[in-house]
Amino acid sequence: MMAGLGTLLGDYTVQNVLLGAVFLGIVSGVLGSFAVLRQQSLLGDALAHAALPGVCLGFLIAGARSLPWILAGALATGVLAALTMLLLIRRSRLKTDAGLGIVLSLFFAAGVVLLTYIQGQPNAAQGGLDTFLFGQAAATLRSDLYLMGGITAAALTLVAALWKELKLVTFDPQFAGAIGLPVTVLEVVLTAMIALAVVVGLQMVGVVLMTAMVIAPAAAARQWVKRLGAMVALAAALGVAAGATGSLVSASGANLATGPLIVLTASALVLGSLLLAPGRGLAWAQLRRWRERRAIGERQVLATLYRLAAAHYDPAYPTELGTLDTLYGGTPRRALRRLERRGLIAPVAHMPHEEGPHWELTEAGRRAAERTLEGNSGGAG
Amino acid sequence: MAETPLHEPGLALHIEDLTVAYQGAPVLWDIDLDIPPGVMAAVVGPNGAGKSTLLKAVLGLVRPSAGHVYLLGRRPRRMLKRIGYVPQRSAVDWDFPTTVLDVVMMGRYGQLGWLRRPGRETRERARAALAQVGMERLAGRQIGELSGGQQQRVFLARAMIQQPDIYFLDEPMAGVDATTERTVVDLLQRERDAGKTVIAVHHDLQTVHDYFDWLALLNVRIIAQGPVAEVYTPENLHKAYGGQIPLFEGGRKARGQRAAGAGRAPEGAEP
Repeated sequence: MMAGLGTLLGDYTVQNVLLGAVFLGIVSGVLGSFAVLRQQSLLGDALAHAALPGVCLGFLIAGARSLPWILAGALATGVLAALTMLLLIRRSRLKTDAGLGIVLSLFFAAGVVLLTYIQGQPNAAQGGLDTFLFGQAAATLRSDLYLMGGITAAALTLVAALWKELKLVTFDPQFAGAIGLPVTVLEVVLTAMIALAVVVGLQMVGVVLMTAMVIAPAAAARQWVKRLGAMVALAAALGVAAGATGSLVSASGANLATGPLIVLTASALVLGSLLLAPGRGLAWAQLRRWRERRAIGERQVLATLYRLAAAHYDPAYPTELGTLDTLYGGTPRRALRRLERRGLIAPVAHMPHEEGPHWELTEAGRRAAERTLEGNSGGAG
Repeated sequence: MAETPLHEPGLALHIEDLTVAYQGAPVLWDIDLDIPPGVMAAVVGPNGAGKSTLLKAVLGLVRPSAGHVYLLGRRPRRMLKRIGYVPQRSAVDWDFPTTVLDVVMMGRYGQLGWLRRPGRETRERARAALAQVGMERLAGRQIGELSGGQQQRVFLARAMIQQPDIYFLDEPMAGVDATTERTVVDLLQRERDAGKTVIAVHHDLQTVHDYFDWLALLNVRIIAQGPVAEVYTPENLHKAYGGQIPLFEGGRKARGQRAAGAGRAPEGAEP
């Protein structure tokens, strides 16, 4: 097994793919955190789809499948799409979701038209341009990595330098404006950097699935942390984990597409985080609800026994199981067993057996019931 | 003092001919407003009167169609470090991953400038401000776990560490508990007594008399402005509210009735 992994890591192509996936994980995790917190998750989607016409234009200008040209084109149309969207939302009555939808489909349609035009050309070099739809990680070259690494480093530097400003603009743009921060400029910087992240991912996962890389690591990370710094760091780590897992699984011979595997891994991380993260996870919330319901059930039984005893002026009044059955429309046997285990109630042993099982409050049970009835929830908790 | 000559430096806030319009419809129309320094002023008016927009126009957050704003004789852009702003609580997403102390420290970001991180001095200021609003024990708390009143106090502490000369508050008493309302009012009155100017958008007509000493009645236009005693008259209120609130026909309400008054939701009742 280790030998298998060693051989994999020794493979030149696998190294390239792995490094590319790591860059993609870092840059999309970091910038995705800001996008998710600004509730602009779908911005990544629009930017990614809008990159397709740029890919084609870059190809047309370079006359060959040259990655720098293609990525520059992708960045240009991505930014153009973002600006169009901003204009639409500010100047018309369209809401953000409608603006996103219009821009996304307009640019993507233009991209597909350009793509089919290029594919109709008698140019041998056009082969494989459609891999930008779903990505083709195996085609990653060492020279591509320099570009992707450079973009990642630039984005990280910018985020580090503008950390407190980006945090404030994300959390409270009005206050940021009131203390004189150039809010619009910072928002444009963030958007442009997300466009850069998309560009890094084009080669790996393609325009269609890139949005998952922007959203998934950040959304998963949000579940586990309490600080923005921790969220950004964890999102980058999860992005790297997804990228590495996806590319290694793909390279291990199964011959499955790398990009979709990366996205599937990231989605699994989101699912796990949504379910399991302490405090925010759905599983914990369900557990909490279940415990509360159980505690309330116990308290009700305890209070019933207490009231019956009080009504009969007998602290050790034996309550018949049948009475509880009628009262609760079913026997609260499990609640009774738990209360007995905690020594709050005891079965009455000396009843004639034809009367059926009876229960009485112990001294501790009486005190617990009194506390409960006084409104102090500590009684049966 | 070699800069541009000051315009009405004797006034904390001086607004001339301010008009703000959204997509053709005027939200604020030809506002002339003067507020002297050292007062605690309420901006009061019905829903949609443009109260929040007025604050945002003064702070440069919305662009006016016409008019000028001066703070202590200067354009607001030159006064940003002397302004403390408390936005509406609902303006932010309280699920943001950060702590109470961190939010309060944001108040110093303007003074810190680019590339500099908040250090120990900022942290100590923030702790002191939190102590003043009675929340020092919640400094490390996740902001998503705060009640409405606690959120409001965090925002006030954030404005206080700016050490401003003029406070602008947008509905600081909306949807907070009685303890918070008392704390906020006491602190603001203390700031006023120290010579600061407090300007707050306020929603609760019934407390205007108790909390404020200056009043601007707004309904797209300025209806009346001046000391509360002069402005708070049934005629002015009627003009501002157009008789929509018969509750106030008689002017001030008695104390006993006020306890059950509207606009004072219990803590946690708001969304």
